[in-house]
Amino acid sequence: MGSLLSYFKNIIFGFWNLLVGLSVTTKYFLSMKTNTQQYPEEKLPLPVRSRSMIKLIYDGEKDQFNCVACMMCAKACPNSCIKLEGVRGADGKRRVTTFKLDFSTCIFCGYCVEACGFDALTFVAEEYENSVYKRGSLLQDEQAMKWVRPAHLAPKPEEEVKAEAASTAKAGV
Amino acid sequence: MVHLIANLLQQALGAVGLSGFAFIINPIVSAVVMFGGISVFVMFLVWMERKVSAHMQSRIGPNRVGVFGLLQTVADALKLTTKEDIKPVHRDKIPYYIAPIIAFVATFAGMIVIPFDKGVSVQNLNIGILYVISITSFTVIAILSAGWSSNNKFALLGGFRSAAQIVSYEVPLVMSLVPVIMTAGTLNLNNVVEYQQKAGYWFVVPQFIAFLIFITSATAEANRAPFDIPEAESELIGGFHTEYSGVKFAMFFLGEYIAIIVSSAVAVTVFLGGWLPLPFLGSLPIPGFAWFVAKLLFVIYLIMAFRWTFPRLRVDQLMDFGWKVLIPISILNILITGFCILFFGKGV
Repeated sequence: MGSLLSYFKNIIFGFWNLLVGLSVTTKYFLSMKTNTQQYPEEKLPLPVRSRSMIKLIYDGEKDQFNCVACMMCAKACPNSCIKLEGVRGADGKRRVTTFKLDFSTCIFCGYCVEACGFDALTFVAEEYENSVYKRGSLLQDEQAMKWVRPAHLAPKPEEEVKAEAASTAKAGV
Repeated sequence: MVHLIANLLQQALGAVGLSGFAFIINPIVSAVVMFGGISVFVMFLVWMERKVSAHMQSRIGPNRVGVFGLLQTVADALKLTTKEDIKPVHRDKIPYYIAPIIAFVATFAGMIVIPFDKGVSVQNLNIGILYVISITSFTVIAILSAGWSSNNKFALLGGFRSAAQIVSYEVPLVMSLVPVIMTAGTLNLNNVVEYQQKAGYWFVVPQFIAFLIFITSATAEANRAPFDIPEAESELIGGFHTEYSGVKFAMFFLGEYIAIIVSSAVAVTVFLGGWLPLPFLGSLPIPGFAWFVAKLLFVIYLIMAFRWTFPRLRVDQLMDFGWKVLIPISILNILITGFCILFFGKGV
């Protein structure tokens, strides 16, 4: 008799549990709340240092690229996807004339950015929608890669960096 | 509407001197109307399922193709029909080709006795309930032959599981309908609804347990989660339809959704009063067909909510649940209903 009672008790208890589960899902269904990001309409801000696109820094004040065509990036590139040419200007300094980066072979390793000694190449966070309709569109020249660095992303003056490094070194000791 | 078209076509046939063939017009028109209507409804259901599941999981679901993503299923169907039809080399040819056709036709044929409105059904069979149950259980042949002929161990396992499942859940499915048949004294679906109209209550009130058993076993019959062990994605890839692609897969898919429609339609007709309006709302100028579809959508929502709420049963749990819970309780239900008919002259 006891086992018969527990049989029915089990069934009723199980049925109640199922009802509780259904009520939870139905509550969510009726609330119509969404927690997902609706991508093309909403965009999440990426971290400043995320590697989305390689850009050639353009100095708006001097009206020229920072690049001096030293070829360090082209040498550092493992896939040789950077081609650039430069000429010596009237002031005796070399300036870049053409800069071509083939993003169809680029692996975004960042060696070119690291190799650049003149603060001319950089990763940009916000331009991460890099798909194109034609393969040829992946070959970008200096006009396509032109990027003026906004003020809040400008590098800190050298003294400040040195002071910071000294203070962290002290803290480390 | 259907009769109007049929009459017009019959007159046209008579005009060209072929009135001898007039008898084929009615079935053909009904078949075309049913096929078109059901296909569109299935497309709506697929969209609805995706929306229901999305909102249950705090997502939005399809919203790109058409208004609210309503045309998403059309796009999916187009994709399926233009896909390459990949066939396993060592398949058993004849069952491999026949299986999707049976899966589709067997469930689709169940639709013809469903009364959508007062007296509106393709065939007013006097053994309607028996017909629906027997014709829809043909799907087990389709699933078993699909699993066998694919020459794939996952497909075969899915087929075997499905055979075990459908055979054991057929029993409580039928037994949950028996009390209603005993009370109403008819197997005709139209008459069952008319009995409910005369009696003034729907069968879901006195036979609530039977309704629950019917919904549960109908979910199992349609191979829906939580009883989807024949196709169990995480264990068997796709179960019996692992080796099917393109149009053949679409046929299985269509068959699965039509099975849901058929069993929900039977549940609505038998337990929820078919085309009858909701209590106290009978005076509203809403046609019976609209009431029927509204109830149908409610039952289909229930079945969808099952899928997105409950985890899948293990094979032994499935058998336990079928044989140790559903069948004893439905037998008890039949016994109690029988006693009530004997002592009080009518069902509880």
